[in-house]
Amino acid sequence: MEPIVRALNTRGGKIRFPAYIPVTTFGEEYPLDDLVRPYLPRLAQAMMVSYHYARNRNLSDRPNLPLLVDSGGFSALFKDARIRKRNGLGCIERTLDGSHQLLSPLDALDLQERIADVAFTLDFPIPPGTKPAEAKVRQALTIANAHWALANRRRSDLLLYACVQAWDAASARACARAYAGCPFDGIAIGGLVPRARDLVGVLSIVDAVRAEIGDKALHVFGLGKPDVVAELFRHGVDSVDSSSYVRLAVDGRLWSNPGARITDPSATDRLHLALCNLAMATGQTLPLGASRWLFSTSILQRLEEGQTDDSR
Amino acid sequence: MSLTPSQAAVMERGLIDSGFNCVLQMPTGSGKTWLAEQAMAQVLGRGQRALYLTPLRALASELMERWRERFAPNPIGVFTGEFGRSGRAYPVSYHNARLLVMTPERLDSCTRNWRSHWGWIPEVDLLVVDEIHLLGDRHRGARLEGAISRFRRLNPFVQILGLSATLGNRVELAGWLDGVEFASDWRPIPIDWRFVRYRKANEKPSLLLSEVGRCVGQGGKSLVFVQSRRRAEALSLFLAKQGLRAYHHHAGLNHSSRREVEEGFRQGSCDVLVATSTLEMGLNLPVRQVVLYDVQSFDGNEFRPLPTNQVWQRVGRAGRPGLDPSGEAVLFSPTWDRAADGYPRGVFEPVRSGLSQPRLLAEQVLAELSSGLARTRSQLRRTFGHSLAAHQNRMPDLEGLLRQMQETELIREDTEREPDSGELRLCPTRLGRIAARHLMEPATVRLFRTAMLDEPEASFFDILLLASSSPDCEPLLPVDFEELDSLGDALARESSRFLSKARSELEDRLGVGGKRLLAALKMSQVARAWTRTGDADQVAELTGCYPFEVLRLRESLIRLLAAMADIHRVEKPGDHRPPRPPEEEVSLADKIHALSQMLQAGLDEEVITLTLVPGVGPTWARRLKQADITDLEALAQAEPEALAALPGLSARRAYQWMDAAVELVRTRSAFWYRESRPSNLTSSETSSGTINGVDPYRLRRALDLQLRPLDEGMYHVWGGLEPHRVWLQGSTWDCDCRDAKEGQTCKHILAVRLARGDRTLKLAVGTVEQGRSEGPINLRDLWFDAPSPGGSSHDPWNR
Repeated sequence: MEPIVRALNTRGGKIRFPAYIPVTTFGEEYPLDDLVRPYLPRLAQAMMVSYHYARNRNLSDRPNLPLLVDSGGFSALFKDARIRKRNGLGCIERTLDGSHQLLSPLDALDLQERIADVAFTLDFPIPPGTKPAEAKVRQALTIANAHWALANRRRSDLLLYACVQAWDAASARACARAYAGCPFDGIAIGGLVPRARDLVGVLSIVDAVRAEIGDKALHVFGLGKPDVVAELFRHGVDSVDSSSYVRLAVDGRLWSNPGARITDPSATDRLHLALCNLAMATGQTLPLGASRWLFSTSILQRLEEGQTDDSR
Repeated sequence: MSLTPSQAAVMERGLIDSGFNCVLQMPTGSGKTWLAEQAMAQVLGRGQRALYLTPLRALASELMERWRERFAPNPIGVFTGEFGRSGRAYPVSYHNARLLVMTPERLDSCTRNWRSHWGWIPEVDLLVVDEIHLLGDRHRGARLEGAISRFRRLNPFVQILGLSATLGNRVELAGWLDGVEFASDWRPIPIDWRFVRYRKANEKPSLLLSEVGRCVGQGGKSLVFVQSRRRAEALSLFLAKQGLRAYHHHAGLNHSSRREVEEGFRQGSCDVLVATSTLEMGLNLPVRQVVLYDVQSFDGNEFRPLPTNQVWQRVGRAGRPGLDPSGEAVLFSPTWDRAADGYPRGVFEPVRSGLSQPRLLAEQVLAELSSGLARTRSQLRRTFGHSLAAHQNRMPDLEGLLRQMQETELIREDTEREPDSGELRLCPTRLGRIAARHLMEPATVRLFRTAMLDEPEASFFDILLLASSSPDCEPLLPVDFEELDSLGDALARESSRFLSKARSELEDRLGVGGKRLLAALKMSQVARAWTRTGDADQVAELTGCYPFEVLRLRESLIRLLAAMADIHRVEKPGDHRPPRPPEEEVSLADKIHALSQMLQAGLDEEVITLTLVPGVGPTWARRLKQADITDLEALAQAEPEALAALPGLSARRAYQWMDAAVELVRTRSAFWYRESRPSNLTSSETSSGTINGVDPYRLRRALDLQLRPLDEGMYHVWGGLEPHRVWLQGSTWDCDCRDAKEGQTCKHILAVRLARGDRTLKLAVGTVEQGRSEGPINLRDLWFDAPSPGGSSHDPWNR
């Protein structure tokens, strides 16, 4: 009997599940991303970029990997952002340097049609502590946007994930039920990052959604810590995305030895840390010849203990 | 294809596939390149890139031709100094090349400017370093090591494959690379070693004729290595006169001449090639017999026995598969000296890191800071903690070096601190960036900076002399004793402030003395002659060098002048020079710019003013000169009809040029570039004939020699062109050299007498030393001086 391999066939290639999808950016804001990006095909099956870091950027030299593009909905959490309802759909209005900027479902889908292999509908996070009325409005707009995107998708090979935003397992189930029977290619759960410390709560949301969506592909935004990811995969999540592999590296840290740290990492130190973190997250192996240049637990242990020669 | 035993062993062990870095030590001709090709094929097959480093430009082009079909359809790019500049585009760009072939210097440049090469560096899975023993080369080694180190940090996935036939510390090198090593001494054709002993140096040519004649008579070909170009030419002529088809080969020939000779040797129109070290590496020229006519070489300071590595690099070519049952290695050695007998044992010298030299480490510090790969002291410590020098416990004091670099304004501490560690950032200063950008030693930058600040009225010749004195100028053109008079005459006609300085002051200014200073003077003369004639053949004939050298020197000086111009633009703190009014005399910056153009175009300082006119380039300037319009003023005053009559020049353009010239002469004049202050350099005469009855020339030469006793009253003396014997005959000393045969008290005898405490000679030495540094330079005194041209490992005297 052939083993069942869950996978997503995208225009840019197949993504075998479970998959850790590294988040990257384009542009000059995060220099380490520029260093890491060429190496993503060696260690990952796909990459994720946010709407905000893909818009107005030159993506011509991007790695040859399936590209997932989110909607930029997390910007609803910014201080200058307001969620507006326009024609039954949710938009995000921001005031930047005196000018108003609007992010609508059309804006997100437009960009995704142009560059993405997998797209996520425009959603509105519901942080813990949100008032119930506001939470319901955000969820309703999230659902409306998802249906609109499905109806207005033009490219037949653009895979579309509907987003679930919720505040508990019950509301998550209700949101997922709103997509039942619709030909979305997958479901993505957002808003779990601020709830990450409550792993039981997170997993209850995941279980609730999985129970509603049957066999559809299930993605979780933003949770990337290896032990958490392992639990998510055990509970039926197919893919996660995270930038924590590289954020940790900026800070001079290694996932395999959280207590140790390089206080003064150079650019290539950070690159090596990020590659090690990513390899750990994706389960890939690093070449043996790289052992001196990349970090191991024992090396960082020595640095932590202040061995004078700083050599690895 | 059947594999050789060593190829089979490497493949069976899976060393190429292992992913480990690997150092392979196998004799010449035993199939190293084939193994590298297997590794490259695997990498290209999986869609990644491979990079092959070769030390020779000529070999890079040869490999590209060979691999074009082998690795089709993967585009192969060659990246050497022949391309990229002078409008000569790369045949295949970095971006498109899947297999990149380059010299270590080019890789050094790529890794220093890694941001511009980020489109391909991460895709390289394999870096083949051919002749990896070059890590120990005194100049190139440090840059190769720096390049490899940076590449590994930028691309931690790359597998390194190091190849060499001669490594004394293969295991140590493999350890540095965290890899594995493999060695085999299997050769397709075994080598028979023979020694040809001679009692006197003048016996050698006929002995050579006998050896080479026997080989050729039996259907073989012979490659003869000698220690100097002159000897290569003289011996090949001697052999040709004896009826052999013999040619010479050395670095003084241009590329096309060398290729012609090599092709002739391969195709059969030449049986004997007499060469300097140019044929030591790489090129495929199988022969039956390799003769080492000289087993010593000039290392820049003195003649030394050849390293075993070098002997084997040369001898490794002996024996043609399918044609010769064995290869013949013939070593010429004096009867009284058995030092060469150890060569066949093949105990190779270890490769020592060039970073153990502080000045070369300083260059790499600047490279790291300029490239942004290191920003603080601790980052630099970590970086160089992985160096080969550190691995060999030969790292200089890094902290001390950084302090020194701060004091000499090559680096500075930034006000910004690293956010987490609080450590102050180190930045290269503008001077430091210039050194890194132009791939120059920090010493060169300091030399230029100081000299330009102190000598704002330097002449064109002085600027050339400054550039020629720098460690980065090449090729070095040595001065033979016989050239001193003509050189002195030529220098006496030059306008120069430097040449009127006292010798000690000039040596301090330029940082060089003795033979190195002589070489710099000659190089300046060559370059100046080029600006006056624009004809490399003519200049070569005039100055006693080769046309190819003239052009290479020109290339090197143009590069140095570009750096000089950048350095000049850097203001010293507190130095707020007001802009010069245009009617004032031309500034040093203007002169440097003009000189650079003069070198580019082969035009002098008057004709070059024509190129100030928009639309007049070097070609038109030359044509105008031929029409007797030799400078800007002449153009401004030319007859329009006469100008428009020049073929290819329309009336409209003629008028435009004239109008522009008229406008320009209001603010500039060709007169300003003219220099009219000849130096008061004396000729090459000495101030006195003898000193205490001793010929000072021979006495100075004696000081360079070394000796050891052979028997009672007999010495072996070496350090000159040939070793000699000196013995006591009655109460006088005799020597087997020609000088002694002609009745002179030769330098060898003087050396023995000095060593034995001869008081008269010691007094004479004192007199010679005392007169050295006073008064304007005297060329003969410079020539006598023991310190020599900067210790170049390119062996300038003997290519």
